[in-house]
Amino acid sequence: MPALVDKIRALFRGKGQDKAIISVHSDRIVVVLSILSVFLLGLPLWWTTTRVYRADLPSTQIAQYTHSDVLEIPFNFYVDSPRISPETVQGLVDAKLAKSRLPYRSDKLQVAFTAQVQHGPAPDLPGHYTVETREEGGVAIVGTGRSMQIPVTTTTDANEAAAKWIARIVGKEEREVRAAEGRALKYSPEYAVTFTLINEDPTGGLSVDWKIEQALAVYLQPFIDTVSPLTKLSVSSQVLHHAGPLPVTPQRAANHTYLTTDALPHFINSAGWNLASTDPVSPMLNFILFVPKRDSQPLLILDDHRTQSNTNAFLIPQWGGIAVANFPESAHGHVMISQADLQAYMGIFIAQLRQLLGVRSDTPLPSVKDRVIVQRATATGISGWEFDAQARRWLANNRQTAVTTLSSLITLVESMQNMVVMDNIKDQVDASLAALAKISRARIAVDHARACQDAIVAATKAEGAFFDPSMVSMLYFPDQHKYAIYLPFFLPVAIPLFHALKRVAKDVVAKRKTKTE
Amino acid sequence: MANTLSLYRTVKRMGIPDSHIILMLADDAACNARNKKPAAVYDHPRKAKDLYGDNIEVDYRGYEVTVENFIRLLTGRVSPDTPRNKRLLTDDKSNIFIYMTGHGGEDFLKFQDAEEINSYDIADAFEQMREKQRYHEILFMIDTCQANTMYSKFNSENILSIGSSKKGENSYSHFHDFDLGVSVIDRFTYYNLDFFESVDMSSKQTLADLVHTYNTSLILSHPGVRSDMFARDLSKVRNLLHGHLGCQELVPCENEEGGDDEEKGPERTYLTDFFGAVQNIELTAEAFPIGQVQDKARQ
Repeated sequence: MPALVDKIRALFRGKGQDKAIISVHSDRIVVVLSILSVFLLGLPLWWTTTRVYRADLPSTQIAQYTHSDVLEIPFNFYVDSPRISPETVQGLVDAKLAKSRLPYRSDKLQVAFTAQVQHGPAPDLPGHYTVETREEGGVAIVGTGRSMQIPVTTTTDANEAAAKWIARIVGKEEREVRAAEGRALKYSPEYAVTFTLINEDPTGGLSVDWKIEQALAVYLQPFIDTVSPLTKLSVSSQVLHHAGPLPVTPQRAANHTYLTTDALPHFINSAGWNLASTDPVSPMLNFILFVPKRDSQPLLILDDHRTQSNTNAFLIPQWGGIAVANFPESAHGHVMISQADLQAYMGIFIAQLRQLLGVRSDTPLPSVKDRVIVQRATATGISGWEFDAQARRWLANNRQTAVTTLSSLITLVESMQNMVVMDNIKDQVDASLAALAKISRARIAVDHARACQDAIVAATKAEGAFFDPSMVSMLYFPDQHKYAIYLPFFLPVAIPLFHALKRVAKDVVAKRKTKTE
Repeated sequence: MANTLSLYRTVKRMGIPDSHIILMLADDAACNARNKKPAAVYDHPRKAKDLYGDNIEVDYRGYEVTVENFIRLLTGRVSPDTPRNKRLLTDDKSNIFIYMTGHGGEDFLKFQDAEEINSYDIADAFEQMREKQRYHEILFMIDTCQANTMYSKFNSENILSIGSSKKGENSYSHFHDFDLGVSVIDRFTYYNLDFFESVDMSSKQTLADLVHTYNTSLILSHPGVRSDMFARDLSKVRNLLHGHLGCQELVPCENEEGGDDEEKGPERTYLTDFFGAVQNIELTAEAFPIGQVQDKARQ
């Protein structure tokens, strides 16, 4: 070290100059330079230690998917009649669909539903439908599976008839998906479904219990099993006794009480009824069977024309359904609603559940008397056509969610430069992109439900990345705060340092002067 | 603290269930040993109505009330084991009412005396909520000194903001409770509540009606309203105080003496839009013929 110091001194020592004087100056220079070099060496260290880790997100890959991409979902129709030529029907259907397609709007889903017509037997997969012809009668029959029979008389053009039905089915669904309605809940991989029996006041002489487990196993389980490839319905049930009076008082008539539609929005006693779920995230669907107290029975729900509603039940969009149960006057004391008696109520609840999930009863076509018969899937509660429509709607929605979430994520990460982006975020983004890449026209055509599952994975992973707890950026740091942090550290050091530098500069200038003299 | 609790009571009276209210109370004044009336909080020295009562659900309390938790709550980035009542489960149909109060200043509001939330932080959080469609409309109300600076940085659509005082102004408290030695409610909040008392679930009062009641000589500061990010006309916004349920969240959060509190409730611009729960209903036309024989169903 002394050798180095001597060398530096030697640098500043001119030839033939007074050694003693110069050495004082050069000592100062050594000290000042060494302190400065500590700062300079520390700079990269400070830079690397205060830098935040930011995984490199595949933004160019994400940019490939834009909001305005039109997602094409092809239906496969299989015709078996010798009178029908698939090629001719295909041409007719394409022309009809192109003609009826509405212009795209940027704020709606960008989907195009198309049809592929071919001969042969249909595989039993979502998105594949058998079209049979029947000659007797003028009625089209839509089966509960994935088939339909269309009426073709001997005199009509069979190709034209088939094309008309196919284009109607495909075109109708495309319009519905593009004009999303507000009643159905947003897609979620799981819904928490709660069935609650509410006894308003058992002290009045009527205490009701129900065989809900058996009823659910018989009437609801087939529905749950059928939709399980797309979403999970986790069911729970409870009985509330002494629930207390309704927030609205039923009006009295001669031999019954009633509620009109304007009172129904206040029906739920949200403060008094414990309808909370233990599930932290899944959307809740509540189904309530309400037993009014003895002396307000029968409690009727009147519609806008003040006639009794068919079901004595109503639906609260996004929330759930309510049915009112009345009992004959002879019923007293402890009453058990049997599984068979629950069938009627379960029918109401399933109708409401279908509405809340967005299942439309007019899928694929509305029933028209003497023209179209749509068979109801009374065994499962959801027909093949309805299930497929649900898969297609959720496919389009989830794909859209994935694409918009990923691009929001990129915007977020780019706008917050001091936010840490962990590797697990990148992993989730990659997984989401991989699932998105699987959703191609060809793969959708094979199986609509499988494509929907890919879209669900893409959306779930993208949201997982976006809502990751680590994605909360550093709090906003105004520049004043930075000064406030660094100044107390560096100001006391900086002032003597700059003074010394100034003196060194002065000395050097003075030295030059003496040299030139 | 009484600020927040009074608003919490009001919103609850409008029919919004606790499950849709997120109440953040930074200070456990009710159970503080120095509280002369244990487990009770009053907003008036006369102590007529106990705000704490026996039916209150505080979702975030004490040391859980931090800037970070608040931002996480808004943006939805909570840890996976967070219970439902500590999450803001809103979607694009939700109206949110956020009420905050506490000690503050230009562009900041103090949380817990130790940290502060910045107007940029809130603006960022709202922008991220908009990106992910976590709200339909937000009514942001803040009662603190220089409150109007807090909403000046917002840059997201459909947010309506109301502050208690303009830049350079203090917001003053209203009643002083000599038993406790602190002021119990702030003027701006007090006069808001005064108005809300006249509103019930079926009220057709609009937000403009609320704004018109602000009297500078009573509040002693100039309340501000920022509606340029809000598409609807305030006089059409009636039910601020009670909206359709859908998915309503109401988040009162309160911090320290005088608290910092916020509430959220989704609604229309009726007063009931943001402060209450009214939903549209639909009669069920027919039951699904589950388990019936096909022939019977077809008839």
